[in-house]
Amino acid sequence: MLLILGRLVLAAIFLVAAYAKLKPQAAVPWSAASVKTSLSLFAMQVDSYQLLPPQLVSPVAHLLPPFELFLGLWLLSGGFLPYSAVVTTLLIAAFFATQVRTYRAGLEINCGCFGPGERLGPKTLLHDGAFLALALAVTIGAFVVARQRRAGSASIAQVSTPQRAE
Amino acid sequence: MSSRINRPFVRRTTSRAPWAAAILATIAILSPASNAQTASTPASASARRNAAADPAPSAPVKTIGNRNAPITMEVFSDYQCPSCGNFYETTLRAMIQDYVASGKVYLVHHDFPLQMHTYSGQAARWANAAAMIGQFQDVDAALFDNQAKWPVDGDIEKYVAGALSPANFKRVQAILKGCTTPAPTSKVDRSLPQAEPGCPVDPYIIQDIVLGNAVPVQATPTFVIHYKGQSYPASSGIITWPILKQFFDTLLSQ
Repeated sequence: MLLILGRLVLAAIFLVAAYAKLKPQAAVPWSAASVKTSLSLFAMQVDSYQLLPPQLVSPVAHLLPPFELFLGLWLLSGGFLPYSAVVTTLLIAAFFATQVRTYRAGLEINCGCFGPGERLGPKTLLHDGAFLALALAVTIGAFVVARQRRAGSASIAQVSTPQRAE
Repeated sequence: MSSRINRPFVRRTTSRAPWAAAILATIAILSPASNAQTASTPASASARRNAAADPAPSAPVKTIGNRNAPITMEVFSDYQCPSCGNFYETTLRAMIQDYVASGKVYLVHHDFPLQMHTYSGQAARWANAAAMIGQFQDVDAALFDNQAKWPVDGDIEKYVAGALSPANFKRVQAILKGCTTPAPTSKVDRSLPQAEPGCPVDPYIIQDIVLGNAVPVQATPTFVIHYKGQSYPASSGIITWPILKQFFDTLLSQ
């Protein structure tokens, strides 16, 4: 039950994060142009981290929100949970490491985590740290459950398979 | 290291942001101080000549470019903040030479001198005084170009003098004659500083701080972009010119 809850929370986090980055950032209706503008605006937030060379900023900014959407849906589906949980943990760990580095460098920028407007500060580090802990817990839980299931099905198979007479 | 406003983390209120943006856009577009000023277009060169010929100082014109440009970018900046200097040198300078000169972007400067910087308020006074006689762009560039030098001893005057003709420098000095007390700066608690009664530029600096508090500006540089009557969320920090240009191109392609 806890594993399902953790998985759904992580799915919600990624779906909200993707929505916040893709939605129109001004008072305009949804359209292909509005999504393009939102991704360009997100590219400025990625750039403000001063981590990537300009030629990589745009590809990362354009790929990350769709990937977050995909990951959110994958977590929501519950399929291959150990794998989706590992990918989620690695992604959140990368975000967290980047934020810690940026905060320590004293850069006063927007986080960009859930769209524009959220400053990168202790509060951001706190919630991303909590997300990382949750992702780790879900990953461990998913592997434990998967192992128990494998062990369970192996013992059922052993019981149902007739023993060869010596 | 970027400059930080010495205050605890402040949540940006989403309900205030559209109002602030609307106020900023309206002021930028309707303000008499928002007439075009740039060295790179004939119209602005003429405006600068007229301004130089006009003996009476007027409201400071802290804008660069054509006010009818499709994109307006408002930058809240502090002359002593290293990130602002970096942003000016690496991004705004290229932008002024390219998209401002070609009439795509109208750049509006707002002073947001931070309390933590000893001379930023005084630098803003010099910039505003220069803007009152139509010489903002040159002094703005000189202050950022020499950002590593004048904060050492506060001798801003030397670099302003180097950016202006002797006659214009005298006019700027005359404007600042009554400015003897410490210059206004933004406060940590967002309370407003006092204008010195005899200092004609202080009200304009305070006006910019009011606008900045409404955004709200939490660090410098912070900028707000307007296009086709829409305001986009404020961004902070150093954005490189290729990425900013890409955003402008996306807007212009709509």
